[in-house]
Amino acid sequence: MGSNSSSVNNIPNAQELMQETGFSAAHILRLHERFEFLDKDKRGQLSPQDFGALPELALNPIGDRIIGAFFSPGQETVDFASFVRILAHFRPTETNRTRDEAQQEPVNSKTRKLKFAFQLYDQDRDGKISRAELLQVLRAMLGIQVTEEQLQSIAERAIQEADLDKDDAISFDEFRKSLEKVDIDHKMSIRFLR
Amino acid sequence: MPPKRKNDTAIKVEDVGMEVDAVLDSGSEDEARRRTKNRRAKPQRKAKQVSDDEEDEEDEDEAPRKRGRKKKAKPRDSDEDGEEEIRSVKSKSSKASRKKAAKEESDEESEDDRRKKKKQGSKKEKEEQNKGKKGNVKEKEGKDKGGEKDKKNKNRKMSSSHHSSSDDDEESLSEGEIEALKEQVEEKKKLIATLRNKPWRMKRKLVLHKEAQEFVEKFEGALGKGKGRRLYVFKVMMTKKLLKFKRDFENFKTACIPWEMKIKEVESHFGSSVASYFIFLRWMYGLNLVLFGLMFGLVVVPEILMGLPYGSIPRKTVPRDEQATAMDYSVLLDFGGYCKYSFLFYGYYNNVRKIGVLQFRLPLSYLLVCVGIYGYSLMVVIRTMARNANEGGDGAEEGDFTFSWKMFTSWDYLIGNPETADNKYASITTSFKESIVDEQENQKDENIHLRRFLRVLANVLITCCLGGSGYLIYFVVKRSQDLAKTNPDNLSWFDKNEVEFVMSLLGLVCPPLFEAIAELEDYHPRIALKWQLGRIFALFLGNLYTFLFALFDEVTAQLDTEKVIKNETEWTLNQYYANYSSHYNTTNVPPLEIHPADVIRGPCWETGVGIEFVKLTVSDTQVTYLTILLGDFMRAFVVRFLNYCWCWDLEAGFPSYAEFEISENVLGLIFNQGMIWMGAFYAPGLVGVNVLRLLVSMYFQCWAVMCCNVPHERVFKASRSNNFYMGLLLLVLFLSLLPVVYTIMTMSPSFDCGPFSGQEKIYDVVMETIDQDLPAFIGNIFSYATNPGVIMPAVLLMVLAIYYLNAVSKGYQEANNGLKKKMQMARDEEKNRRNNKDSTNQVMKDLEDLLPNKSLIPPPSEEEPPPDVVIEKSPKTKPGAAAKGVNLQKDVSLAAPNPRAPVTHAPGPRRGPPGNARGPHPGPGRGRGRGGPPRQ
Repeated sequence: MGSNSSSVNNIPNAQELMQETGFSAAHILRLHERFEFLDKDKRGQLSPQDFGALPELALNPIGDRIIGAFFSPGQETVDFASFVRILAHFRPTETNRTRDEAQQEPVNSKTRKLKFAFQLYDQDRDGKISRAELLQVLRAMLGIQVTEEQLQSIAERAIQEADLDKDDAISFDEFRKSLEKVDIDHKMSIRFLR
Repeated sequence: MPPKRKNDTAIKVEDVGMEVDAVLDSGSEDEARRRTKNRRAKPQRKAKQVSDDEEDEEDEDEAPRKRGRKKKAKPRDSDEDGEEEIRSVKSKSSKASRKKAAKEESDEESEDDRRKKKKQGSKKEKEEQNKGKKGNVKEKEGKDKGGEKDKKNKNRKMSSSHHSSSDDDEESLSEGEIEALKEQVEEKKKLIATLRNKPWRMKRKLVLHKEAQEFVEKFEGALGKGKGRRLYVFKVMMTKKLLKFKRDFENFKTACIPWEMKIKEVESHFGSSVASYFIFLRWMYGLNLVLFGLMFGLVVVPEILMGLPYGSIPRKTVPRDEQATAMDYSVLLDFGGYCKYSFLFYGYYNNVRKIGVLQFRLPLSYLLVCVGIYGYSLMVVIRTMARNANEGGDGAEEGDFTFSWKMFTSWDYLIGNPETADNKYASITTSFKESIVDEQENQKDENIHLRRFLRVLANVLITCCLGGSGYLIYFVVKRSQDLAKTNPDNLSWFDKNEVEFVMSLLGLVCPPLFEAIAELEDYHPRIALKWQLGRIFALFLGNLYTFLFALFDEVTAQLDTEKVIKNETEWTLNQYYANYSSHYNTTNVPPLEIHPADVIRGPCWETGVGIEFVKLTVSDTQVTYLTILLGDFMRAFVVRFLNYCWCWDLEAGFPSYAEFEISENVLGLIFNQGMIWMGAFYAPGLVGVNVLRLLVSMYFQCWAVMCCNVPHERVFKASRSNNFYMGLLLLVLFLSLLPVVYTIMTMSPSFDCGPFSGQEKIYDVVMETIDQDLPAFIGNIFSYATNPGVIMPAVLLMVLAIYYLNAVSKGYQEANNGLKKKMQMARDEEKNRRNNKDSTNQVMKDLEDLLPNKSLIPPPSEEEPPPDVVIEKSPKTKPGAAAKGVNLQKDVSLAAPNPRAPVTHAPGPRRGPPGNARGPHPGPGRGRGRGGPPRQ
């Protein structure tokens, strides 16, 4: 148990990050290794191209958006701290977290996870997934194999299913509601971060 | 801090081993983490001292600094002690708010904690305290160990960063794991310490205390030194290894399922309905493998190994007059010549009761295996049906959010392989299409009277067709029988082959006709497929019936000739004996010396029947493959390449590509299996032939479907249980059981060939065995059991049992449906309520959302939904659609035609991974679908 942990101290602001995100030192370390691996030109910054090198992301229909989620608007690169902050969404939830009122919601709670996913679909950040936004996703996922008309109707159906307040768009609440039965805690968790 | 949950985590950690990296802790994790950080600093320091100079200077500095800081902090402790305690008694939330406290403070705090525990004064705490100061202790004893570990760690680190996760799997306990454990142990200790102050019930406290103590005892080893620790590390490593092994084993098991990948690929492009055919084919292959094992293991191989060799007795020799042509290809192709006198057929087997050193009772084994094949098949089919039925209906009702779920959750984020990604795209598209079809069905706004009328009309038409074809078959068979009596020389080619001609014509014309008529009914494609299957089945039954009819005619004819020949041979023998004895005047007559090839012999009708079955199977296979090659492959080829120089669009227009005909393929498979079941008795080799056929079919059809078919216009989701196929199979099994049982029980076997020659009836073999080889009382039991007085009550009992079980299952089904309805109602209710009280109190709504079982709360009286919403369901729509509770404002047309192309590549806008050659994207000129050429 020597050098490995010592390198935690090499990481700038490691302690703050740990406290902020709830990662343990080992996690931070692991993430840092990962970060350095992704960082091809060793600048301490990641560019969208670095993310694009991952085949899993490159093949993903909404991979661009996922990559985009790492970058705050207007910025070209992401440093380690923000990288960790984003990934904190994917820290598995502890099953027995106490539910205290005063405590602010941890970043990896189910709601926050869902929020993260929601924002991938909500491109204009108005708090609603509109039909146009759904159609964009559908086109990415189905593309030419389905007629435009059918795409329209699929989007229509999806909205109808989820839309509770009849505003013709899916708000976050409705989004959460429709995915209630999906095990988000499980799906949106990275195993090694546990 | 909910105690139960905590318990869970503890268990989880044990189960999971330390596969996970660290924290599974409870509420006060922050604090714990901070504490461990200090702790970690110490071993680190220790390691540093041992390790060589390669280490960074910075780190060297860091450690002493920390120590110094801690020392500084100590004197202040006493002041903060009281404050600290109060704080900890307060809710933990306050701690969270202090998260951003500086490092120094955290150091102090952890010191405080320890002191506090001391005050509470449990012995363990003291131990722990000592361990906490292990900086000093360990420095002395564990130096070399630390050094070792250090090196290891360094190696690991150098071995590359991106493998770190897998590394951790293999190496011993990683740092994070140890930490996690430490944290947990600390946690538990703290719990023990503060348990007294908690406002809980005594019982709960006791339980918690016990659990915590056990945990601490168990895992302190991890923090200890020397033996306990090593033991613990070993244990954890073993659990980890075991887990990994289990995972690998699961993967291995999946990889072992034959053709799983192929079928998945077909499924992703053609939908689950086509895949269900292939799954059925695979199942059939498994069944046939077992039958093959039984037949070859217990009948064929023993006869070959231990029986008399070829050419030793007449039944194993080609007769003299056939020998000239016995090796001709055309003869062999008809399974004559050497084939006819080989182990493939019934006639080859000898009727010696026991053969070889093992005293193997071959005739008995032959009979039992044939009966066993039926028994096993019946059992397997029925068991599969029962299991499928248990799996619960169609699985169609998944809930309210089909489309949203598909849209938001269907992608598998771990896909990193372009080919897999393509398949996933295809399967998502297919599943969307399937859902669309289901939706269409639900939303069909139907005129019920017209629909009913059309359905009745369609059924009348189809009954007429079936009756007509049945009569046609009957007529032709009758006519051919009449013709057979007249002189064969006056018959034309058509007269001779009339039956086959009519049969194949019917088989060609009727299925498309049925399909056309079925358009009238406008069923959901899934149900339409069942109807189609049933109708074609009825048609094919005529086929089967004529075949059997012709066969039995032949058999009776052969039985007559056999009788004649039998008499002749007996007469000749008697003559020979009489002549011999009168000539040489002796009673000691040597047996007749004739070469086995020259012996006069009967026609051996069993072999004849066997040959018929094998021929039929083989020709059926040939026809199937040829149809695929010509009908599908050539068609696709022509359509694909002639399209460049044709006056209309071949791909979109008339010939187009072929669709995969599920119903015909399934029925082909089922009837083929019926042939096998019937024929296995007469031709043991048939099972082997069939295994081969199925194997080839699997590959060939998989290739054909991927290469030259397009998905159905309406891809539909197959019902998960293909019990309908199974039901048909069961029916065919039963039908094929009848003739064989009839043979075994009433017909007398040939006198000079086969394992039962010389017996009056085939089942006499069993009687003989019972009489001669088993003790007498078993014979008695057997004779009692076959007494009608026993059998009748037994049958009665069974009927009663069936009746009872049936009634019970019906009751369950009703209960099930009731529950389902209730659930649906609850869902509807909730939806309505939500819709109707948007304007009401927001806070109340939020509160309700927090409650776990909100649907069970009766709505407040003033918010009762207006009655018209409840009765909203119109009687015309189907219950499924009504239950959705979504009233469509717009006319959502899901009926737009699918572009009928198989999904071969991902849709456009995706960009490929840089530097990853995924081949050129097929341009728009590629047209729809994949053409003739096999896939690149």
